[in-house]
Amino acid sequence: MRIDNVLPLLTARGIGLRLDGRWLFRNLDFSLLPGEFLTLTGPSGVGKSSLLSCLAGTRKPTEGKIVRNFPKDKGIAIVFQDLLLTDGASVLTNTLCGRLNRYGFARTLWGFPEQDRIDAFNTLQELGIGKLAHKWAAETSRGEQQRVAIARALVQEPALFLADEPVASLDPARADAALSIFQREARKHGRPVFAALHDPRQVEKFADRELILSSNSPEDWTLQTVSRHVS
Amino acid sequence: MFPDPCEDSVPWYNRLNVVNLTFLVFLLAVGFSLPALEGSGRDLNYWENLTRFGAKFFPPDLSILGRTLTSLWETFQIAVCSTFFAISLSLLISLGAAQNLAPKWLVIMTRMLLNMIRTVPSLLWALLAVVIVGSNSLAGVIALTFYSIGYLGKFYSEAFEAADVSVRSALSDIGASRMQAFQYGLWPNVKPLIWSHSLWMLEYNVRSASIIGYVGAGGIGLHLKLYADSPNSWDKFSTVLLCILFVVTLLDLLGERIRKRIKQRLTGKNT
Repeated sequence: MRIDNVLPLLTARGIGLRLDGRWLFRNLDFSLLPGEFLTLTGPSGVGKSSLLSCLAGTRKPTEGKIVRNFPKDKGIAIVFQDLLLTDGASVLTNTLCGRLNRYGFARTLWGFPEQDRIDAFNTLQELGIGKLAHKWAAETSRGEQQRVAIARALVQEPALFLADEPVASLDPARADAALSIFQREARKHGRPVFAALHDPRQVEKFADRELILSSNSPEDWTLQTVSRHVS
Repeated sequence: MFPDPCEDSVPWYNRLNVVNLTFLVFLLAVGFSLPALEGSGRDLNYWENLTRFGAKFFPPDLSILGRTLTSLWETFQIAVCSTFFAISLSLLISLGAAQNLAPKWLVIMTRMLLNMIRTVPSLLWALLAVVIVGSNSLAGVIALTFYSIGYLGKFYSEAFEAADVSVRSALSDIGASRMQAFQYGLWPNVKPLIWSHSLWMLEYNVRSASIIGYVGAGGIGLHLKLYADSPNSWDKFSTVLLCILFVVTLLDLLGERIRKRIKQRLTGKNT
């Protein structure tokens, strides 16, 4: 895809994060452009999840600045590594939680509008878990829960997606199917995806660019275009 | 026996933990409480007294079954209404008593209030209510509502505190308001436990509602008092007891099944 002369939706300018006296990353500069699929890779404990939480706004970077360039009401959809689903709520309700930012408390007190319910169900169907819609999240398997977390992010129709190991519990076929949906969101709707992935095959198949964090040094990060891109 | 390798190097008091220590304190308390077993000091044949008195209960006099069941129905109504009002009020109060939801000053004040409510036994609440609204079933409802709030408020606040708040935070992160995050991220996870406590309270209130009639707060307790005060009516008294036993056992079994089912769903063991 072409990434020149496009206004980035999110820009990290020289950001760094120090946790427990240790710098995880420093002087990190990169942008997230409309329509792109950017992956985040690196060894365990290098700070991938922490970087994502900085971008999500749930953690303040120790240094540097993050510039967001999208309407606030659109927001950021996050697929959390721990999924963070409501165990005692149905799969459908968990999915609909992605739409909470659209309404006030009074509107969602007794449930969601019919159209939202239809959209959420269609998303679940697309991910192959439509039949689980009325089961509690606690009653589903880890792989199914992971797809519910993805569905929750998708129905949000956000400005951009942040995903922390979003397909770690899925088999290769289902993982590819889910990543294809994210790729379609990026291409068709211009909603960029920034996803931490651990499988090089997935990076090669879906990513436009790759940000690699290294455990050698906090400043030893690399941003590169994925050369052997297979679509 | 193998020698303990730590025996010489680790002092004995290092083995004390909160469980061992409280157990030790409890054993000491038992030792100090033994004088309570002394009794009156009169030369009584306990077994003979028991069998003589117990024999008066049999056979139960079933001729009073009709009016006993009518009173039992009123007792059940008192229990249901009081549990309903207690659930509604306790839910609000418990939000103020949960450390992860309310500011510290409110938690302290609410917990003090709940402690005060719990200090008053159900019979005393019933006496108070009878004084205020007269001798009827409304007094029973008021009494048991207050009595239940003391317990449900505590149980509910503990349920809120035990809940994982990370989902609530996650929903806030993706744009939900504070109230929405509570409703969709915390409440569904706490709801089964709250319902389980509420069912237990209903069972408990049926038992309590059976006794508060003793002081005029409606229900089957009035019959218990009537037959206990009348000479040679222990066979009627036993009929009332059997009816209460039947209802309480039925509720207990039902509550147990529902609680088990809730637990299964939450742990996903039936998938």
